[in-house]
Amino acid sequence: MTIPRFELHVPTSVAEASELLRRYPGEAVPYAGGTELLQTMKLGLASFEHLVDVKRIPALAGIAVQPGGWLRIGATTTHREIERSALVGERLPALRLLERQVANVRVRNTGTLGGNLCFAEPHSDPAAFLLAAGARVRLGSAEGERELDVDAFIAGPLFTDRAPDELLLDVRVPPARPGRGHGFAKLAFFERPAASVACRIDVAEGAIADARVAVASACESPVLLERVGQTLVGARGADLDDALGAAVEAARHDVETFDDVNGSADYKRHLVGLLLRAAATSAYEEATRA
Amino acid sequence: MPESRTIQLVDLACTVNGRNVALRIEPRETLADVLRERLGLTGTKVSCDAQVCGACTVLLDGQPVSSCTLLAVEASGRAVRTVEGLARDGSLTPLQEAFIEHAAFQCGFCTSGMLMAATALLEEQRHLSREDVVHALEGNVCRCTGYVPIVDAVLAAAEAGQ
Repeated sequence: MTIPRFELHVPTSVAEASELLRRYPGEAVPYAGGTELLQTMKLGLASFEHLVDVKRIPALAGIAVQPGGWLRIGATTTHREIERSALVGERLPALRLLERQVANVRVRNTGTLGGNLCFAEPHSDPAAFLLAAGARVRLGSAEGERELDVDAFIAGPLFTDRAPDELLLDVRVPPARPGRGHGFAKLAFFERPAASVACRIDVAEGAIADARVAVASACESPVLLERVGQTLVGARGADLDDALGAAVEAARHDVETFDDVNGSADYKRHLVGLLLRAAATSAYEEATRA
Repeated sequence: MPESRTIQLVDLACTVNGRNVALRIEPRETLADVLRERLGLTGTKVSCDAQVCGACTVLLDGQPVSSCTLLAVEASGRAVRTVEGLARDGSLTPLQEAFIEHAAFQCGFCTSGMLMAATALLEEQRHLSREDVVHALEGNVCRCTGYVPIVDAVLAAAEAGQ
């Protein structure tokens, strides 16, 4: 399939990119890996006359630990770079494992974290992880910058809070620390998963002090299930299994699934429960590892 | 874009299988288009056209990419390798020999993509487990072989020390 004709712009600063996006309202779109964008253009699901390549903008690149221990991942970082980053491997092994399983190696080599989040694909595993991890995103335009929770950024299926002339600059993940663990589990029959669950657990004095659970793929949009995390709070060693059982029930109740080629809505609720148990167990194990 | 506007052309300078290539292309041209239509390198196949099947896999600076959904301009200043660049002076690589030895292809449509994905793996990692090979080739679809001979061939090439 031929991609409809467009003009390519290659700005080197956020301000320049933002000006370009503003100059062609409704006709210009940021372009990074093109994994989703070029596909939708080929299929005629979206049409843009101007592609603004954001990969030459230094402010959008790189992975680094910031003061305070937050891990900053630039928007144009590819899935493969995250998968292979020693910093990510040390601090967020669950994210490394997740990224290693995104689509296939070719998509991981070109697709970017920022593109994935901005496209707001319902099947985004990184979005599920970042929701559970309490990550924040930074947006920039010619006007300035703003920062918000991933939860506020993902506004719905294929829809984010990003203004047309804004760029996603980076994602920042709260510090990894003793007593904190992350877990992730998914089931995929095709390129896009049937269901994915991510979990972050904080343990203090032998009991779960905080837990966050997020689901993707099984529902319309990646979602944080706030009540589900709370059912785990207070659980410790011996009664962890009961607490997990309650969390599984709560997740199956709260998640809004739908029928599609991956299975019925009921089946996906079932999967969410199983995957939650797996994700929460590995998060707990990581949190309680000496 | 309305027809009244000038069609944008951009420079593409890269190497393809070690040779310098300089072309003026439209930004919308994919790497598969350029390889097949402009350079006549039809060993790269396009099947799903959606980054799912892996038939169009080529290496960009040694890493596998889907040439069907990569703008050719992304190859600017970089090294592209296709299946045509594997054999040297008519001698097949150990991987290609292993594909023949293990009957790792039937219709052959997926083969160039399989070879390129496996070449990237073999160049990065000398000691491979079956799991490593399966993980690396997860995104390459074959409808003939049932995959076992392909994985066997890659493992044999690793043994042979490609």
